[in-house]
Amino acid sequence: MKLRIVKRLLEANERIAEENRRLLRENGVFTINLMSAPGAGKTSLLVRTIEALMDKVSIGVIEGDITGTDDAERIDALGVPVVQLNTEGACHLDAGMIREALEDIPLGGIELLFIENVGNLVCPAEFNVGEDVKAMVLSVTEGDDKPLKYPLMFKESGVLVINKTDLLPHTDVDMDKIRRSALSINPGLRIFEVSCRTGTGLTEWTDYLGALSVGTGMY
Amino acid sequence: MHEVSIAQSILDTAVAECLRADFRRINSISLRIGRSSGVNIPSLVTAFDIVKADTIAAGATLVCEEVPVRGHCLDCNSDFDAESELITSCPACNGARFRICGGRELDIMEIDVD
Ligand SMILES: Nc1nc2c(ncn2[C@@H]2O[C@H](COP(=O)(O)OP(=O)(O)OP(=O)(O)O)[C@@H](O)[C@H]2O)c(=O)[nH]1
Ligand SMILES: [Mg+2]
Ligand SMILES: [Zn+2]
Repeated sequence: MKLRIVKRLLEANERIAEENRRLLRENGVFTINLMSAPGAGKTSLLVRTIEALMDKVSIGVIEGDITGTDDAERIDALGVPVVQLNTEGACHLDAGMIREALEDIPLGGIELLFIENVGNLVCPAEFNVGEDVKAMVLSVTEGDDKPLKYPLMFKESGVLVINKTDLLPHTDVDMDKIRRSALSINPGLRIFEVSCRTGTGLTEWTDYLGALSVGTGMY
Repeated sequence: MHEVSIAQSILDTAVAECLRADFRRINSISLRIGRSSGVNIPSLVTAFDIVKADTIAAGATLVCEEVPVRGHCLDCNSDFDAESELITSCPACNGARFRICGGRELDIMEIDVD
């Protein structure tokens, strides 16, 4: 016999994301979901950001990786609270995983929470986890065709950090093309050009983080 | 890809509903899948065949209905279907003021049980 049930599956994730968001807001935590292809520089950007801001803002990090603890160890070395999530094969973080990780983070003492998503230019963009803003990193070595080839992440993100600009002389990428195509997908996108190797452009990014969280008690 | 975790949640939801209604076996599960839900149907079917083993859905098939992206234009008031969410103008009047209102569905519609 047939049972009509009509269940929205993505809604289950949305519901948990909403609970996470409420919990984070109640604790005055501003949350950034950091996404990129593998190796674009998410952890490097986090290390640089924490070094620049840790005297002014209390920061926490949730590290999402398929397996391993390397990234969490890099953050732990800086002395900020970090939780490592291993997705055991899943190519993205979902709201349920973040709900569990939030139990292990001292939310009361954190003003700015970074969630480093699994390295993947596609799937993480499909799952809200309760963040205030999605930020994506694109490294120049990935090529200037990426916005049009992988549009969803550019569409869902509020911020695009273009990293590894120190390597520009060694590539044929057209920065203007990246900007133009990303903005055609998402006209509201805030774009930063940085090098986590040399530090170029990072002040604009960290100033922006400060301004973003005005009203949540930061600074 | 993330089809494995989605297949798992389809299975968990269907099994819970089946047992709640006092049935013992799932024969098929009908789904509506939006074209911009990000779900690849062949991968989902493969993933489901893996996760269903040794459950009351071990013999179950997935019946997937793909639904298009739906839009509504604020300029000419038309409702339209689209291939993707990433269109920049209304296919009817070329206007830029439109809303996407469907295409991300991932719904279980019904399950066939004994
Ligand atoms: N030249 C150059 N290399 C960089 C820059 N930023 C990061 N890298 C290098 O790129 C590699 C990957 O950086 P990660 O920070 O680990 O990248 P990730 O996005 O966290 O990687 P996953 O977590 O594995 O997805 C490392 O070898 C970094 O040293 C940069 O601005 N310039
Ligand atoms: Mg990393
Ligand atoms: Zn129109």
